[in-house]
Amino acid sequence: MGVALATAFVVAVGATTMRYTAVIREMNVLFNGQVLVVDKNSIVIQAIPIGTSMLPQSYTMDKIQNITGVEKLIPILFVTNITQGSNLELVPRNFSIGIPVENWEAVLGPTPLKGTAGHYPMNESGSEVAVGVSLADQYDWTVGTELTINGYGLSISGVLDTRLAVLSRSIVMPLQLAQKIYNHQKDVNMIAVKPAAGYSEKSLAEAIKQEVGYVNALTEDERFDMIQPVLIQVEMWNLGIEAIIFALSLILVMTVTIMSVSERRRDFATLDAVGIPLNYVFRVVILEASLIGIMGGALGVVFGSFGAVTLGSLYTNIPVGQFFSDVFTIVPPLYMAETFAAIVIVCCIGGVIPALNASRMRIAETMRAEY
Amino acid sequence: MKIRIENLTKTYHVGSSKITAVNDVSFEVPENAFTAIIGRSGSGKSTLLNLIGLNDQPTSGKIFIDDKDAFELSSGERRKMRLNRMGFVFQAFNLLPTLNAVENVELPMSATGRSQKEQREEAVKLLEKVGLENRFFHRPKQLSLGEMQRVAIARALINRPETIIADEPTGELDSKTAKEIITLLSDINRKEKRTLVVATHDEKIFATADYVYTIEDGKLKPEDKSSLLE
Repeated sequence: MGVALATAFVVAVGATTMRYTAVIREMNVLFNGQVLVVDKNSIVIQAIPIGTSMLPQSYTMDKIQNITGVEKLIPILFVTNITQGSNLELVPRNFSIGIPVENWEAVLGPTPLKGTAGHYPMNESGSEVAVGVSLADQYDWTVGTELTINGYGLSISGVLDTRLAVLSRSIVMPLQLAQKIYNHQKDVNMIAVKPAAGYSEKSLAEAIKQEVGYVNALTEDERFDMIQPVLIQVEMWNLGIEAIIFALSLILVMTVTIMSVSERRRDFATLDAVGIPLNYVFRVVILEASLIGIMGGALGVVFGSFGAVTLGSLYTNIPVGQFFSDVFTIVPPLYMAETFAAIVIVCCIGGVIPALNASRMRIAETMRAEY
Repeated sequence: MKIRIENLTKTYHVGSSKITAVNDVSFEVPENAFTAIIGRSGSGKSTLLNLIGLNDQPTSGKIFIDDKDAFELSSGERRKMRLNRMGFVFQAFNLLPTLNAVENVELPMSATGRSQKEQREEAVKLLEKVGLENRFFHRPKQLSLGEMQRVAIARALINRPETIIADEPTGELDSKTAKEIITLLSDINRKEKRTLVVATHDEKIFATADYVYTIEDGKLKPEDKSSLLE
């Protein structure tokens, strides 16, 4: 049971950490090859602007447009909803992304819509929105569903069929509509800038920072480099925790196996007395230790997967039921197999010293001690 | 299998005191005969049997098996000798509690590389021979003491050893069962011409034995059986 609990902990915490670092890493694909411009007081975590500062849309775009090497500008209003009532939550419940209607593809790429009936919102001042598949599944939204945000009535025109965590939890709407709903008329919090052919992201970002003093311009690499050390640190911590848990499991299995061998001293001495080879005794003890690993590991992987799903649900407020269908995305089968194999190997290693003890038992002394 | 021991001594240190369990013993185990070694508890008979069975190392002296010094052999070679040429029967039976009767009997043969089928056939045959044809799949705790000792005897016989070494084989049994076990061992000795060495203080055993030795304070001496039975 100890081994099962240790494995469950490794699977639950490890898979959750892996999932969230993967989600953060995948965000960068949204603005591949583009420079993201935000207010100087804001930061960008991969593709999400963090901070409350806004950029005056027209003024900033005019200034950037005049810089040599700019091919295309896309103003974006990115709103993260991280409160439920008055409670601040660890992970945003959902995102609202306001994009000019002519730029869907430039931002969302080839993201298809679910079913045949849907379409991307077509009118900049209309009330149509597209929603991510995870939100749609959670709230039973389909094309035509009416919803209200901040008192504005909206109609769902399409469901984004995507595996990207951010997009699947997003409400994508025309920029003007987003500015109206979230009361940021004529303001945006991010501008995506596509460099013209022959211009590098780096040189363009530098030029933007020089020309527009109140903005921060980040290349894809810079955005990645910003978050990468944090992600690496999180992963290292996770590895450290896993190593400690495996070490504890090793000690646990070793202790249990030593006790088990010690309780059966007479049995091992008997095997020795009748001439059973030492490697047979060694193998028996290792097999027993590995069985602890196999049973504990299997139980642990199952419990841990439930744990990871429950943790995911707690973090994101997505109902557990919705997560279960995605259990193999949250805990990839390869990770399950690796953790299972690791715990079995740890148990086998834990069995080595007791196995050596069992196979080196001195028959006569053991027999004498037993009578 | 010719077993000869020369000036064998085994000394233990218990705390600060030194105990000489076997003291300068020399004798030759009569081949194909039934030899009983009798002595009180603590007289050194179990230690002597452990030495004869190559389960323990002497402090001094030598044990010759077929005129070869057994302790010049490697521990692996001695182990092989125990596996293939000797059978052991213990006072407390020493059956593995997690295995059933037939698996316990098969155990020594499983280390000889014989097929599972051969092991099973031989184990079944031996269990039938010791009168346990209805107890193949019973675990030790489901067997009576006498049945457990029969399983242990079958296990000792599975590799067709030349010598059977039994340490107090009737020590835990009632007199009726003890008599049955003695008869069984004696039959094996006589009918199959196997050397049998038994350590005991059971009168019924040494009455059946061909040769009787007494051991006291580690010293072994031959006895006239008739004088002991008077």
